[in-house]
Amino acid sequence: MPLRLENISVRFGGIAALTGVNLEVADDSVVGLVGPNGAGKTTLFNVISGLVRPTEGSARFGDTDLVKGKIHNRARAGIGRTFQIPQPLHELTVRENLMVAQRFGAGRIDPSRIDEILDFLNLTHKADAQAATDLALSEQKALEVGKALATEPKLLMLDEVLAGLETSGKRAFMTMLARLHREWNLAMIVIEHDIETISRLCQRCVVLNFGKVIADGTPDAVFRDPEVRRSYTGTGAAEHA
Amino acid sequence: MRAFPIAIVAACYLVVPVVLGSNDYILSLVIAALTLAAIALSWALLGNLGGMVSFGHAAFFGVGAYTSALLAKDLGVPVFLAMLAGGAGAALASVVTMPALRLRGPYFALAILAYAQIFRILANQMTGVTGGAGGILSIPPLPTVFGFDFSSKLGAYLVILTLLVLGILAYKAIRDSYWGLALKAMHDSEDATRVIGVPSTRLKAAMLVVSAFMAGVAGAFNAHVIGFLEPDYAFAGTWSVIPVVAAIFGGYRTLSGPILGALVIYLLDQLLFKTLMPQGHQIMFGVLLGAMILFSPSGLLPLLTKPFARFKPAKRTPTPEKRHAAAA
Repeated sequence: MPLRLENISVRFGGIAALTGVNLEVADDSVVGLVGPNGAGKTTLFNVISGLVRPTEGSARFGDTDLVKGKIHNRARAGIGRTFQIPQPLHELTVRENLMVAQRFGAGRIDPSRIDEILDFLNLTHKADAQAATDLALSEQKALEVGKALATEPKLLMLDEVLAGLETSGKRAFMTMLARLHREWNLAMIVIEHDIETISRLCQRCVVLNFGKVIADGTPDAVFRDPEVRRSYTGTGAAEHA
Repeated sequence: MRAFPIAIVAACYLVVPVVLGSNDYILSLVIAALTLAAIALSWALLGNLGGMVSFGHAAFFGVGAYTSALLAKDLGVPVFLAMLAGGAGAALASVVTMPALRLRGPYFALAILAYAQIFRILANQMTGVTGGAGGILSIPPLPTVFGFDFSSKLGAYLVILTLLVLGILAYKAIRDSYWGLALKAMHDSEDATRVIGVPSTRLKAAMLVVSAFMAGVAGAFNAHVIGFLEPDYAFAGTWSVIPVVAAIFGGYRTLSGPILGALVIYLLDQLLFKTLMPQGHQIMFGVLLGAMILFSPSGLLPLLTKPFARFKPAKRTPTPEKRHAAAA
């Protein structure tokens, strides 16, 4: 069930947030989405998840039309996402967050699956904690992933899920994401500024700048691209790559 | 912990009729207070669970009252059936207000307020149906069933008490369901709930319909108890303001807070403030509300339960299976 975006443009008044973006994501791939701040990465996620309607272009996920459909139907279609700033469901416990996501996103109730997700994300001991107030940042980020997983997605979109974590936390999270792809058989789009993460996690990398795709290829090839280096990564990144 | 509410309900059914059964004046005050509590509860369904503050519940109260009164008087529909139809009429009227669901916060509150005014104007203008400003007189009273006269004070008390209990059960069932969880989650993070598949607009619309139905039944009950209707009464701002005041005074975002608030405010007003200040006694609502916000922003309920908090047994964490069973 591949994701296919064709000629997606988004304008906010006079500002072009995205211009003619084409993107295909195959069933089993992990795609990194990088670019400087304001490049349009989160806007692209918002288009896919329905929070922003494109000014023009077409977007499909399998048989689902992503331009016309309702936001809540994306989860049933198999699209899960996280937010850059964690958005736990207020007044609910961690377990209740997952229960709501499973009931409405996957359309079924399976407590053992919730336990499995809690265990996978190391959140079992926080299952009855208040999601909005009792979690550390890394746990809130894990819960973001957990909510998306509870909807049983085929495509998981992660928006700077490692941002703000310390080095050891980042490593643990990255290992967890790699396991997710491998063991849960998910396609993923990962927005991330950390080049090491993109290089280790993604088979393919797409670079956005000023709302346009300026590079698309393997992380190594992309980070060697002079235009990418000029617009985004700088010399340090080139050395790393 | 369930024993306490059950004991209160049992006392309302068994003790209150014995103690107050012969005092028509006090019983009529209690009936009016319970009617307000029913509207406050209907408001709380939308405000507490749905997260939408309505300043227009008078619309649903009035539509319910007129629908039931007209069906019973002009078409001879049995009163209890007409009351249900009154609720259905109010629910139908709420469909007209649904465009307001696109608005949030104060914009929604004001839009609903406007709808209430529109319904009042319609009731005034549609003289052929509603009798216009002259209103409707001689509305059939509550019936006698199996020899028991529900139009008596005691009968009316039992009817409104039953309506309130049914409303409480409906509120509780919704609150404890997955819908309730999703509604609770939607208050502060609607986008986050929508991307995990929660049909937020549909849920809010459903809450509006249920809330309107409940307010409509309360309005219908009131019409058959007082026996007359006119637009400025049926769609009066009081029916919109009292539930808000009651919910904030009693305990916002709790089940019992709005009910407690409505009972305390109305009975204090009628038994105390009205005696002390025959003119302008309603100003005391504002004073009470201001004092409550200053000294106990969470309302009267936490103030009353605080002294007993230390006797409360430690909260047990339900097993996942129990949680799912409760929410399913």
